[in-house]
Amino acid sequence: MADRALIPLLLVGLILALLLAAATGAFPIPPGRIVAVLAGRDGDAQAAAVLWNIRLPRVLAAALVGAALSGAGAAYQTVFRNPLVSPDILGVSAGAGFGAVLGILLGLPVLAIQLMGFGTGLATVGLVLLLSLSLRGGGQVLVMVLCGIAIGALAGAGISLVKLLADPESQLPAITFWLMGSLAGIKRPDVAAALPAIVTGLVPLILLRWRICLLALGDDEARSLGVEAGRLRLLVIACATLVTAAAVSMAGVIGWVGLMVPHMARLATGPRFDRLLPATLLAGAAFMVLVDTAARSIATMEVPLGILTAVLGAPVFLWLLARGARTWSE
Amino acid sequence: MVGVTPLVAAQGLAVGHAGRAVLSGIDLVLEPGRILCLLGPNGAGKTTLFRTLLGLLPPIAGTLTLGGAPLSGLSRRAVAERLAHVPQGLSTPFAWAALDLVMMGAAVRLGPLARPGRAEEARARQAMADLGIADLAGAEVTRLSGGQRQMVLIARALAQGAAAVVMDEPTASLDFANRIRVGRAIRQLADTGTGVILSTHDPDQAAALGDTALLAGQGGVLAAGPVAEVLTSERLTALYGIAVRRETLPDGALHFRG
Amino acid sequence: MRYSPASALKVAALIALTALPAAAFDGTPFTDATGREVQVPANPARVFAAGPPAATLLYTLKPAAMIGWVRAPKTSDLPFLRPEVAALPELGRLTGKGDTLNLEVLLSATPDLIVDYGTVSGTYTDLAARVQDQSGVPYVLVDGSFAVLPQSIRDMGKVLAVPERADQLAAYAEATLAEIDALLAEIPEAERPTVYLARGSEGLETAAKGSINAEIIERVGGRNVADLETKGLANVSAEQVQAWAPQVIITIDRDFAARVATMPEWQGVPAVTNGRVYLAPATPFGFIDAPPSVNRLIGLKWLAHKFYPEKVKTDLTTAVEEFYDLFYGVKPDGAALAALLGG
Repeated sequence: MADRALIPLLLVGLILALLLAAATGAFPIPPGRIVAVLAGRDGDAQAAAVLWNIRLPRVLAAALVGAALSGAGAAYQTVFRNPLVSPDILGVSAGAGFGAVLGILLGLPVLAIQLMGFGTGLATVGLVLLLSLSLRGGGQVLVMVLCGIAIGALAGAGISLVKLLADPESQLPAITFWLMGSLAGIKRPDVAAALPAIVTGLVPLILLRWRICLLALGDDEARSLGVEAGRLRLLVIACATLVTAAAVSMAGVIGWVGLMVPHMARLATGPRFDRLLPATLLAGAAFMVLVDTAARSIATMEVPLGILTAVLGAPVFLWLLARGARTWSE
Repeated sequence: MVGVTPLVAAQGLAVGHAGRAVLSGIDLVLEPGRILCLLGPNGAGKTTLFRTLLGLLPPIAGTLTLGGAPLSGLSRRAVAERLAHVPQGLSTPFAWAALDLVMMGAAVRLGPLARPGRAEEARARQAMADLGIADLAGAEVTRLSGGQRQMVLIARALAQGAAAVVMDEPTASLDFANRIRVGRAIRQLADTGTGVILSTHDPDQAAALGDTALLAGQGGVLAAGPVAEVLTSERLTALYGIAVRRETLPDGALHFRG
Repeated sequence: MRYSPASALKVAALIALTALPAAAFDGTPFTDATGREVQVPANPARVFAAGPPAATLLYTLKPAAMIGWVRAPKTSDLPFLRPEVAALPELGRLTGKGDTLNLEVLLSATPDLIVDYGTVSGTYTDLAARVQDQSGVPYVLVDGSFAVLPQSIRDMGKVLAVPERADQLAAYAEATLAEIDALLAEIPEAERPTVYLARGSEGLETAAKGSINAEIIERVGGRNVADLETKGLANVSAEQVQAWAPQVIITIDRDFAARVATMPEWQGVPAVTNGRVYLAPATPFGFIDAPPSVNRLIGLKWLAHKFYPEKVKTDLTTAVEEFYDLFYGVKPDGAALAALLGG
């Protein structure tokens, strides 16, 4: 697909997804009246409150989370030179999950739970990086990934411990729901809290998008081309982690998006990160807006996003595996 | 050539990993437009030497300058302006378009936030055209033959515009025709004034391409100097531990038989 | 949520590890809800309750036979419990979701009977049998359905050899249910309120219609708006609650009850607009569920007062006082009662 046509196409797709999401919801507002309500020309205060306080913050949050997870996934895949890597590779989701469920166990307010998730997600990856830099062969991708697996397993054990200690009647269901990912409780302040972190993380990725390509060649090759590979990779990991931690702390653990969306986008753009990133951000936002719309409309109860993305993601993943070396070599 | 600042110069250089030298006592000088061939058995430390020249490994002893400046004081970018690298093969898992890979040579001239524009694309296309691979621009590198990939990597080094290039066994695992093509490309590169250091397992190639040669083995340098002086039957026999006989073909070229 | 089955599973797993020989003992045969004939001691003196619902029932029927809690009472519960029983140790977290019980702790407390109170099905019948075979401690499961509550109280009373006490409590249960039936007979379906049960500090966790957690809301005629795809707990969105527009919100979360009036996404929900958000008392046991046991009898009366304030003219404080005296054996003072009912 021509590079020039792709971005406008994705942009149109995102706008359509946003419109569909804004027009869909349990509270009956005829689509025709939505514009009037938003413009303040409709007297129905209740409809306006539902739109402004509930539906639109959630649609915006979905777009943000989708863009964040997908963009971070694309960055991680590029710097780890592996198209099958997801943003969780260094343990950010497990770490954020541990912090958040601990917050639930301690009975903290929701914003504090989100902050704790955000903080422990960042701290987990920080620990992984410190460890991998201090070990023999410091800073190597493989060492980093192995440290990520180890620390992620510890965080996973922490989550299990918290589940064990939680009150099975009140806290355990909340923990379970959180770990499956949902935007059901999103409010405007949540979006306002996550937005700066997501933007702060994405802006350097966008600005450095061409140079980040070179990291996909491997450290030695990138260095011999004049790039400070180690430093640049740490920066990319830091940014991608910031973005992921913000998304996970707001929406809970949502798998597959960060793996699948960049992968699909790469089919259209090729591996160049400078082309891949914008396409991934738009596609990820549109995808998550659609998935969240499904999550709140296919049943009366909320279907956890983690379930939906896995149901959609696993077959796509297998299909990609079957197609094999189309976008990468063995 | 007297008075020309060498592109690469090493004196008493020892290279190795984690403080342990695998190759030491290296004295070498590379001048513009010259080709230096590095010969030695597997494990002699050729790749380690290259990584040291590229600033990817710290030297264990000795001095090393690129374009007259001590390597230790140079930034990555400054090293990349002075010395480009043509790796043995591609290690990327992604299916880059050949042109995109060649354009990565532009990184050395671009600011961290810049993307290659038209000028850089033209430069990359020119490098490919110079090597006769203009038609590969849109091809995915993962689908190219070994020879084509090697040409693409040489084109990238050209696009990088460094004063000198090191090539790690550029013709290893290539078929006969590709070996000749890559050999011509290397000569062409040198003719534009670029200095080339390449490693090879083929004394014939060294004799045909090289201006100077350096024989590395048993942890040190056995000989260094003009190819015709360095590549003798005795030295190669000692180097590889197998009887080697040097012949001079009717056209003056050197040929070595085992 | 299920209680007894998982407890049985845990006991089974742990007892399997210690592989105690099956002890033969004398006792009265009793056919429990699983259809198993169990030899029960003539007068069980050391009884272990396998889950919170069973613990509550055991506490109300025969507190002297309790050997410990599966989960220690909270400090705020203590004023509403018999002091001698409140101080019993926590033996293990034997709950509904797969926690652990240290069997050595349990066995060192030398129970002569294990009672469980909750869901009855094939899996749990088998598990109860396994536990008993392997431990040698008789294991009785009593049906936890709310519909058969009076009978279950009597069954448990028979097992525990306190039939008079059980009759007294069962009679209270029957009278309460009859009272509710009489009340509902006067109230046409359309006048019964639509109700949303809010859980979690955001209030977006709810118990679906037909779930054990919301059972008594429906028993008092409340029309649970959360008619969901599940019969358990679920998450819903604030927009969905807006669409349901419940007339009454019952919550078990103190934080949510305190904040709901100021939360923008709850504005316009009739229950919030009309100030009909009620925090269910929860000491020493929950009024709505947590655990789903006899404690819900007073929950029925409390809900009747909240649902039909014009129709129900009895004094709620007196009713609570009576219930606490009869079931829990404590007489909270006026201040404690006011605090309990004040939210």
